[in-house]
Amino acid sequence: MKKTVVLVFSFVLCLGLFTFSKAMAEQNPTICAVHPFTGPFAFAGIHGADAMEDAINMANEEGGVNGKKINYYWADGEYKNDVGIAAFKRLYAQHKPHCMWAQSTGMTKALAPEINTRYKVLYSAYTFADIAASPDKNPYMFIPGPTYADMFGVLLKYIANEKPGANIAFFYSNTEFGREPIPAGRKMCKEMGLNLVAEEISKVGGVDITTQILDMKRKKVDYCIFQGFVATPIQTVIKQAKDYGLKCKFLGTFWSTEKHLLDQLGPMANEYMGVTAYSYYYQDEFPMIQKIRAWTKKHHPKFADYRTQAYMQVFMGTTLFVEALRRADKAGSISGDSLAKALQSIKNFDVGGLMPPVTMKNNSIPIGRVVRGNAKTGKFDPVSDWISLD
Amino acid sequence: MRCGDFKGTYIKDEEIFQSLFVKFCLGMFMLFLLVFPFAADAYMLYIANMIGFAVIGAVGLNLLTGFTGQISLGHAAFVGVGAYTSAILVTRLGFSFWLSIPFAGLVAALAGMIIGIPSLRVKGLYLCIATLAAQFIFEFIFIHWESMTKGITGINIPHPRIGSLEFITEKEFYWITLFFVVLGVGYARNLVRSRMGRAFVAIRDRDLSAEIIGINLFRYKLSAFAISSFYAGVAGALWVTFLKVVTPDHFPFILSIQYLAMIIVGGLGSVLGSIFGAVFITLTPELLNYLSEIVKMYAPGHEEIFVPMKEVIFGLLIVLFLIFEPRGLAEIWNRIKNFFRLWPFSY
Repeated sequence: MKKTVVLVFSFVLCLGLFTFSKAMAEQNPTICAVHPFTGPFAFAGIHGADAMEDAINMANEEGGVNGKKINYYWADGEYKNDVGIAAFKRLYAQHKPHCMWAQSTGMTKALAPEINTRYKVLYSAYTFADIAASPDKNPYMFIPGPTYADMFGVLLKYIANEKPGANIAFFYSNTEFGREPIPAGRKMCKEMGLNLVAEEISKVGGVDITTQILDMKRKKVDYCIFQGFVATPIQTVIKQAKDYGLKCKFLGTFWSTEKHLLDQLGPMANEYMGVTAYSYYYQDEFPMIQKIRAWTKKHHPKFADYRTQAYMQVFMGTTLFVEALRRADKAGSISGDSLAKALQSIKNFDVGGLMPPVTMKNNSIPIGRVVRGNAKTGKFDPVSDWISLD
Repeated sequence: MRCGDFKGTYIKDEEIFQSLFVKFCLGMFMLFLLVFPFAADAYMLYIANMIGFAVIGAVGLNLLTGFTGQISLGHAAFVGVGAYTSAILVTRLGFSFWLSIPFAGLVAALAGMIIGIPSLRVKGLYLCIATLAAQFIFEFIFIHWESMTKGITGINIPHPRIGSLEFITEKEFYWITLFFVVLGVGYARNLVRSRMGRAFVAIRDRDLSAEIIGINLFRYKLSAFAISSFYAGVAGALWVTFLKVVTPDHFPFILSIQYLAMIIVGGLGSVLGSIFGAVFITLTPELLNYLSEIVKMYAPGHEEIFVPMKEVIFGLLIVLFLIFEPRGLAEIWNRIKNFFRLWPFSY
């Protein structure tokens, strides 16, 4: 019994000291994050957690925020809304961060009312949903890239140039992620003179897609745009489309423009295209990519061969956090309002080729590049220059 | 010398507050609950609220599964029905939050009664599958009845208020949660010692025998489903009002499993067990998060190994409980009480 009491007492004491020592270090600019480190989105969260740490450490090596060291704390949200929100509240209560990164669109929607009225932190997440790019409704939220609707815009603009009046199909999952840009996509098809002839819906991971392929064949679809999938059923659709004689080009948005999909497509990788927002890890002609590669080799050697696009997204988001912190601090004080103002003031900001020079527009960066899979190298090659939606 | 707590009548045996000491302990616990929000930060209060919603839902499920013996894998669906009912009533029909709560319970109870109808013909695993079907049917409705539920986008819910008094923060909402928890637990504790409660237990122990001694199975089984779903509906309505948003993602099948885990770990057929289970299932992952943070601090670079370990530890804890104390945390509590009942003169 005595041993138990001593053990419990020691544990509580350690916990107290741990919390106290951390609280003492809270004067500096602080960034907190909830990463989906475990669960179905862990493929992004593991790299994302590193990306944020790397970007902050790099910034601290360069003098932090005008000489002040940036603190970084994160927690695992398991890609579950309730776990993520609890982690957010815990991090906020412990560290009172100035900037906050969250794990999903769902969490962003749930937190939006409180971010606006209570927390007032500069906020971004693993999301490209419109909700985070509406400064009139959610002034503290931003997307370090294009929205899903912007990505559709980039793809449709590319298609309209390549084949005016083409027949288009949207192939999306029956999830929030899948449906998000569909209304905007319909509108843009009309504006660009493209024929939206089919909308196919499938489950994430669904394998029985024969009906959808036959429908697209019947409607003579020229281009099929996927949304709301990370991998399956994209590779199944492309493989089966060939079996059924469907002659159509397949394109995807950010989360399905990743190397692992090309690996799964094998020799058919050439037939897949997509839109991406950031340069790839293997595009080492850009100074920021070179820097990331050197840093990864030194600090995370097991990922030296490849870093995902999720890494680039979080790295870009953190770079914008740091820049906003520096500008707000220079202007006098760091607060939610000054950070939001500082973020919106970012124009032609050089990010070393990770993206073209960044100009924030509606708290997002509406720019993207069309890429095509290369079966030989297993990489995506750019087939367009950066396409901006102005 | 009279040593221990002996009862001379059945009425004494069924009393909720069985001794002065129990009254004192419960009084102290209530005092703690009243003082807690003044000492806790927003995160602790958030967790306290989540525990409160879990307690209400778990007590409801325990009435159905623990007391009446009707297993349900569709509890999350009833939580969802209550949540959507409240959200729709408040946002579309302009109901006040306070009025929407009983309606949320009633609509969920109605849904529960409909889903409970198969329980009159099927038992055990078959009933499991029937209630599982309910889970998927309601999930489908939440997503596809877009004109009512706004589909995957969800509904934003305003915070509750009484006149100019608003319940926005975790601390303010804590009082609402506490009120409903006390009400829910108090009603359940009274229900299980009433005629209906005894009928539930009789059905659980042997439904044929129960029918022979005059218990109307149709009435009591459906009542159990209705009451259980009423609790789930209220829990759902409170939960989504607290979160200020409701989407179909809130009510996955895994939530039903979590509720079952709560009552199994806490103790089937025990109101106190439901509370222990809800606290355990909600609090343990949070404590493990703290541990993983400490590990992250002292073993940087090994996050990929240690952070996912919390899931393993959580699973292991549940398995160990089931092996070493299949009657749940409530039984451990009983043993501790029994130890102190005769302390220091145990034999």
